[in-house]
Amino acid sequence: MPVRVVGEEKVKVKKSFVKPWMGIKYLFKKPVTIKIPYEKIEPAPKYRGFHTLDWKKCIGCNFCGQICPARAIEMTWIEVDGQMEKRPHPKVDYGRCTFCQFCVDVCPTGALGFSENYYLTTGGLEEDLQLYDWVPVHPDKLKELNEKFNDYRFPVERIKFNKETKEVTYYLRDGSKIEFKILGYGLRPPKLPAKPKSAAKPAEKKETKPAEKKEEPKTEEKKE
Amino acid sequence: MIDWKLILEAIGILIYATFMGFIFMGIERKAMARIQRRVGPPLWQPLIDTLKLLGKKESVSHGFIYDFGPIFALGATIAALLFIPIANFQLFSSNADLIVVAYLLEVPMLGIMLGAMSSGNPFSGLGVQRGLLTMVAMQLPYGLAVIALVQHWGTFMLSEIVSEQQMHGWSITVPALLLAFIVFDIVFQAMLGLEPFDIVPAPAEISMGPMVEYGGKHAAILFTQHAIQLFAETTFFTILFLGGASNLLTLFLKQLAVLFISIFIASIYPRFTIDQAAKFFWKWPTIIGIIAVLLTM
Repeated sequence: MPVRVVGEEKVKVKKSFVKPWMGIKYLFKKPVTIKIPYEKIEPAPKYRGFHTLDWKKCIGCNFCGQICPARAIEMTWIEVDGQMEKRPHPKVDYGRCTFCQFCVDVCPTGALGFSENYYLTTGGLEEDLQLYDWVPVHPDKLKELNEKFNDYRFPVERIKFNKETKEVTYYLRDGSKIEFKILGYGLRPPKLPAKPKSAAKPAEKKETKPAEKKEEPKTEEKKE
Repeated sequence: MIDWKLILEAIGILIYATFMGFIFMGIERKAMARIQRRVGPPLWQPLIDTLKLLGKKESVSHGFIYDFGPIFALGATIAALLFIPIANFQLFSSNADLIVVAYLLEVPMLGIMLGAMSSGNPFSGLGVQRGLLTMVAMQLPYGLAVIALVQHWGTFMLSEIVSEQQMHGWSITVPALLLAFIVFDIVFQAMLGLEPFDIVPAPAEISMGPMVEYGGKHAAILFTQHAIQLFAETTFFTILFLGGASNLLTLFLKQLAVLFISIFIASIYPRFTIDQAAKFFWKWPTIIGIIAVLLTM
């Protein structure tokens, strides 16, 4: 198909001295700005914001960790109420996350989801920066908080991480707390002797995964 | 023997001029924002900016002349202000204060140039080069407009020009002086450093032009200088063409009218390059100015 060329005389605009004065008509019109602290904007219903995680549904398959283009997801072994979860859960680092939400698309059980919340601002202190690294909370909890505040902020106000006891406390915005313990990182259960740190190399992990998963219940039993 | 009344009056006029100048700067920003469909900053924003700049801890200095430039500019503006009849106050007066004021209003530019050149920044150098060329180019139509005025009213004294206008009607009602008004309005745009001729600071083109190295307290002095100059120049314009003012409210309204014309021009026309500006000044305003002078002969 030949390219159709429009004649130059059709696109060429005649220079004018008077026409720019048309611009002044906006002086008496209402400005089109949104006064942000006083007026609100609604993000799109499926705006890609912070993650949510159903801790009961997550099977620790690490698909999210493998697809993550920024490698922001690290599997974490956590202990709630003195009982270790059977599977590792993803911990998202918002310092790296690009909010592409590939991890949500790839999640086989639908445990990992996302919300429309997108506000997260902190100071530069080390305590404040803890906020950027979390195991996402349950979607229902987030929905509840959103209904209460309706300002699309990060649901956690402060994260306290005790380095010795590895105890983590999320102080949510409505005053409630979520407490748990981080036992270790990576795909292997932390109680196994030696090499507790074995992140990276996801290709190898995938092969050994079934074996690991069988071992997990055992470790729990041992612990108990 | 100190004339305390004179000193107090001078201080009073200075404070009023500074405050109103900042308000005019605020109006300028607000009106431009509204034309661009924005809300814009509050009216007292330039005042806040200046106070913030005064509160800065450090300001870099490049030697004596660098510090002296802004002070020199501020002093020249204040001197010009004291010669202008503001409402009924005129503190100093001479037989030819029209010429005195017209050239004292040009001197601040030289002060800024002086300080800017001593910073040794290439952007400053470029800005100064452009600024001086603009000044040279605008002197011709400026002079022609002033000559037309003087020839028509037959006096060099600002107070007499005001009283003549109160007797015979404003300058712009005279056809020849209407042409001079048009010329003066074009030149005025360059005097204020507004858009078609804002070649001197040229934001985003050559950084900030001469003012590129000024920060902190130096910049605060330059802001204050700009505010007073805005007040002085609009008053000068009002006196020459809009029949002066007998009280501060009339003066304010007339200044506002003058200011809004230049804001409108500034917000709709893009910037000239320096060669275009020089060509422009020596073409249309000069031709109109010559016609105005010939008509008043």
